[in-house]
Amino acid sequence: MSAGSVRVYADYECDFSEDVDVVVVGSGPAGAVTAKELTDAGLRVALIEEGPPFTPQDFEIDGAISMARTMREGGLRMTQGTVMPTMQGIALGGGSLVNSAICNKAPDFVLDDWCEKFDLENTTLADLDPHYDAVGEFLGIAPTPEKVQGRRNLLFKQGCDALGYSSEPVLRNVKGCRGSGECFTGCRTRAKQSMDVSYVPAAIRRGALVLTSARVESILNDGSKATGVAGRVVAPFTGRASHRFRINARAVVLAAGCMATPVLLEKSGKLANRSGQVGENLQFHPGVAIMGVFPEDVHPAFGATQGYQSKNFLRDGYKLETLWAPPSVLAVRLPGSGMAFKNRLADFARSAIWDAIATCNRSLGRVRTRSRSMTPSLVWRLHPEDVRILTRALWTLSEIFFAAGAKSVVSGVNGIPDEFFSLDEARMLTEHPLRDRDLVLGGNHAFCTTRMHGNPARGVVDEYGRCHDLRNLYITDTGIFPQCPSVNPMWTAMALAHRSAAHISAEL
Amino acid sequence: MVLWLIVCALAAWLLIRIGFGYPPLAHGYQVLRRNEVALLASVSEAMFPPGGHIPSSGLDANLPDYIDRWMSVSSKQTRVLMHLLYFLIEHATVIFPAPGRAGRRRFSALDLDQRVAVLQGWGESSLYLRRLVFVSLRSILTMGYFAHPPVLRQLGVAPFAIESPICEADLLYPRIGARSTDIAYTADDLTTVRDDAPLLPGSPLHPDFSEEQS
Ligand SMILES: Cc1cc2nc3c(=O)[nH]c(=O)nc-3n(C[C@H](O)[C@H](O)[C@H](O)COP(=O)(O)OP(=O)(O)OC[C@H]3O[C@@H](n4cnc5c(N)ncnc54)[C@H](O)[C@@H]3O)c2cc1C
Ligand code: SF4
Repeated sequence: MSAGSVRVYADYECDFSEDVDVVVVGSGPAGAVTAKELTDAGLRVALIEEGPPFTPQDFEIDGAISMARTMREGGLRMTQGTVMPTMQGIALGGGSLVNSAICNKAPDFVLDDWCEKFDLENTTLADLDPHYDAVGEFLGIAPTPEKVQGRRNLLFKQGCDALGYSSEPVLRNVKGCRGSGECFTGCRTRAKQSMDVSYVPAAIRRGALVLTSARVESILNDGSKATGVAGRVVAPFTGRASHRFRINARAVVLAAGCMATPVLLEKSGKLANRSGQVGENLQFHPGVAIMGVFPEDVHPAFGATQGYQSKNFLRDGYKLETLWAPPSVLAVRLPGSGMAFKNRLADFARSAIWDAIATCNRSLGRVRTRSRSMTPSLVWRLHPEDVRILTRALWTLSEIFFAAGAKSVVSGVNGIPDEFFSLDEARMLTEHPLRDRDLVLGGNHAFCTTRMHGNPARGVVDEYGRCHDLRNLYITDTGIFPQCPSVNPMWTAMALAHRSAAHISAEL
Repeated sequence: MVLWLIVCALAAWLLIRIGFGYPPLAHGYQVLRRNEVALLASVSEAMFPPGGHIPSSGLDANLPDYIDRWMSVSSKQTRVLMHLLYFLIEHATVIFPAPGRAGRRRFSALDLDQRVAVLQGWGESSLYLRRLVFVSLRSILTMGYFAHPPVLRQLGVAPFAIESPICEADLLYPRIGARSTDIAYTADDLTTVRDDAPLLPGSPLHPDFSEEQS
């Protein structure tokens, strides 16, 4: 097969159309894996991405400016109901360009639960393992080496060891990490194997046509099957629309992310929604973070962005991680104003920030389509029982901080003191009645809006990502998860996409 | 007639409150207006006052310039929300006055102590929406404060100097805005031996954040 090609915004000069075997919408982890695997199977593939490709010269180190360029709604997208920021990438590579490269397989008990509750027959860990491994090998997924952990990550291990909690170096899709802690604004060392430097080039090598700055606006269909997609070329950052395009295909794969895919289906004449589940069941892993202040320097700027984790409490509903991001983004979580706030920022050099993500299957929402825009409106509510999981997680993180030698912890939680100087004081986190709006939340892992279900009346796709209603329309993004996976979702999304691609190529 | 007079007086008062008495701009701004520059400077001074453990103040960090740049690359919707936020903070003193003399003046006209107290009132309010407004404002300012290289150096969290290697992707994608035909690299340029030495504390800083640059 001859090499494919990439088109960027400045390359488009007029309206155009293409004919391919499969068109894949979205180049995040799910879309990029699908596209590469389909080209490997000898199919002609077009991969369409609304965002531009970023070179290291295009990265902005500044947190806000970077977010304005790489994320939807400038990184300021929020849920209504329980107000929570949620970030989605808009770039070649999707979320992988800005994520921390954490790779976790979904635990066997979670996948067993999915199979049982959602009538799935072939989605146990044993079923998915070959797909996880194929992706893992391609991306070089491996534990974060000690030499780039930095003190911020190793203190976490120290605290966990002291308490007898299990912990481990994070597995990441990274080759030659230098510990710059900059995964959030783009990896300048090119160590992170985000999709734009891994799966997408591999797909191009095998013949894929990659159209960037191209926004799909409708899925073409003849009532019984999908026939392609149509859309507009859009300028990077402003989104200004220009030339029209149309891609005719024998099969269509939607991997636009769990917030954009339901909008696309809805805008295409409420496609694939006989079950009524498109856009429903929105779930997150809401996250909370806490800062520990140590007596001596931690040098938090050095070290893998998120190098250590603990799965000790997965069955209790939460997973613990170390965290770094641009200080401006992290500081949003701190309490106070004026001199007190300024002096708190001065503690940064002696601080570490750790976070917890929670399994919140009871906390549900939905993606709503706006009439004149492709930007979704999100409604989601954190269930009171899930608030308890999060406050429990904050307490556990405090425990680990004090065990690691912290002199205080700062939670940013409203309604309780800003800073705790002992574990005894921190007990308030679990004893004081707290509500969702008292917590500083963030939810960058989102799922379930086009969930898989064995029963066509209760889900949008089957376990291979094929829509129940239109047999040549597939979805592979995290929207197909039937429930949250309890751990960082990217590797599971890629494993499922890897499996779907095999299924699609067999069908074609 | 009396009603008419009251309406006129109210309108005049509103006009004066909203539009008059702001200092002229020192230079041109892409997005911010004169009143917003004055407001942001006054909020930044109250949020990051001079003194304390970090030598740089909000005024040193020149936050209006940063915020103008940020807003100029943000979406229209985000910009509208930001303008509304500034308006709200500037004039909400009518409803939530500052303590002390003439506390209902616009925010940017208040004394420093009063401004600090007003911000604290927003941040510690029992009304969730007021706290939300405060967090949004503080986030915007904090983004700017941390974009000021001396602040990052003072905190020991300035970014490191990194030379990006040339990889396969650099042969495929040009810089944003350029055409594919502008890609200057060929296979001969690919970096063969990568520098994977950890960027330990003390490693050279990114040129934009180093001491010499400032
Ligand atoms: C800051 C951050 C850190 C994270 N860290 C981790 C981590 O360390 N580990 C982990 O497992 N997960 C992490 N996640 C989550 C993870 O990145 C996402 O779950 C993952 O990227 C989802 O993959 P996806 O392919 O489903 O969707 P996305 O990655 O969102 O990709 C969808 C793509 O489709 C494009 N698109 C959307 N609409 C259209 C359209 N109409 N036409 C054309 N293109 C379109 C988008 O621009 C986007 O590029 C993080 C997320 C964020 C934001
Ligand atoms: S920590 Fe730095 S070097 Fe390592 S993968 Fe992330 S951005 Fe790249």
